[in-house]
Parts: sequence; C-alpha cells; structure tokens
Amino acid sequence: MVVLSAARWVRSRLTDRFWRVQEVLKYARHFRGRKNRCYKLAVRSVRRAFVKSTKARREKKKFLRALWITRIGAASLEHGLKYPAFISNLVKSQVELNRKMLADLAIYEPKTFKSLAALAQRRRQEGFLAALGDGKEPEGIFSRIVHHY
Amino acid sequence: VAKTSLTSPPWPEVKLPDPGEEAKHHAEVVQKVNRMIAAGQYGRLFAVVHFASKQWKVTSEDLIMMDNVLEAECGDRIRMEKVLLVGADDFTLIGRPLLGKELVRVEATVIEKTESWPKINMRFWKKHNYQRKRIIRNPQTVLRINTIEIFPCLS
Repeated sequence: MVVLSAARWVRSRLTDRFWRVQEVLKYARHFRGRKNRCYKLAVRSVRRAFVKSTKARREKKKFLRALWITRIGAASLEHGLKYPAFISNLVKSQVELNRKMLADLAIYEPKTFKSLAALAQRRRQEGFLAALGDGKEPEGIFSRIVHHY
Repeated sequence: VAKTSLTSPPWPEVKLPDPGEEAKHHAEVVQKVNRMIAAGQYGRLFAVVHFASKQWKVTSEDLIMMDNVLEAECGDRIRMEKVLLVGADDFTLIGRPLLGKELVRVEATVIEKTESWPKINMRFWKKHNYQRKRIIRNPQTVLRINTIEIFPCLS
C-alpha cells in the first residue's frame, strides 16, 4: 500500500526545547535579576546586549582615539608643548607614528617621548623663522609715515 | 615707528644655534652612537614596526596577534621591513618615516593560525519585527618576535 500523505493523527512534537532555551540563557547567566533565569525576560535582554555590543564595537575606535589624544596632550604638556603643536610638527618632520604608538611610548618609553617632543619643538622654531622670512619689504612697495595735522 | 600689537609676531623670538657648530655636534653624536652600537653597549631593544596596517611596539620574545591571514606556514621565519623607530636605553633611532633595511633587522616566526572567538553581530528594529543575527569568525595569526638587531651603519 502506498501512503502519499502522512497520517493525520501523528503530530510532530518539539523534543529539544530545553537546548534551544539554553542557547539563549547561556548568554544571560551573568545578568542581574530574573533575566538570568526566565526565558521570556532573558530573550529581550540578550537581544539588547547583542545589539549594544555590535554598536559599541564601532564606538570603541572613536573612544580609544580620543583617549590616546588626551594622553599624548598631557605627556607633551609635561615637555612644554601643546598637542596640536606636537602632532603638526611631528607630521611636518615626516615621522609617521600614529596616536596609539605615541601614547604607548609616552607611557612606557619616557626618554624616547622626550626626544620626539624636542624634535617637534625644533621643527616649530624653524617654522617660525621661515614664516618671518627675510624681514624686508616686498618689491615695489614702500612705507612712509603720514602725519595728520 | 610706534609699537603696535602687530609689530612683532605673537610667538617669542627664537634663535637657532649656529649651523656649523650644530653640524659638528650632530656628527659627534652620530659617531658616538655608532661606536655604542658596534661595541654592543645596549640592553633590550624595542622597535615600532608597521605590519598588517597597524603599528606595533615590539621587543624580542613578544607575541603579536593579527586579525587576518598571512600567506606563510606555521614555523616560517619572517623579516619585518617597515621599521619606524628603534630604541634602547641610551639612544633612539627615529625613522623619517622608515629606517633603512641595512640598519635594523626584525625577525619573527609564525606560531599559530586560528579563528577568533565567535563574535555576534545583531541588528534589531523595535516594532518592525526585524532582527538579524550573524556570527563572525575572523582568521587570526599569532607571531613571535625572535630578535631585533641593529648594525652600525649610521652616517
């Protein structure tokens, strides 16, 4: 006898409900309150936790860069330079260290950071001298003091 | 002419040292450092290496983990060529932007090639019945820095 359709009184029963629930609860075990035990509350909390962690992975990069910048600014102030002057003069001297490295050097290699600050200071002074130029007037222009009586 | 706020620039006046004396001083320092390197009077060296689009501060016996694949088998020795900075206790060599290949040598060995822990990417819009969950496993490589060597070829 060929049976083309399954018998109608045999329904399929869910047998691994326990493991499906544990898959979600295992991510909620360290939460506070009933959301670490009760599935209905845990599902919502775990979903929010995943979404927050996804978004935080993008914010982490911004946050760390701001942290490095504060640290480099503080370290360069110890050597008498402000952060914008330090970074701009290092870049003009063709030193391509990024902010993470500069922050690490400022923490763990203070002598090296001092030499970098000195390099930036020297480049800054050379820039000031170059901006002043010769000290002469441009061609075709003369200055004269006008007396008003 | 009367002094106004624009007669002198807002920065304090600066005098650079004499270029001839400066050149002599620089040459002396370079020779001293060369002698120190040749005599081997440095302790532990550290280097800043540009590798896998990141900069790493590296010493010998260091472990480094990159978040991508390296086309080398486990146990292969690798030489890292983009060195930005090398330092010891008494001197540092700062590259502009890189140091020469005949000046520094950084060697590393590939130890391990694995995948990262399963990171979960989830997107959820409330009241729209929209949620997507994706598990990402990045390939990772672990390197051990064996040695950093410097050679006395400064000029």
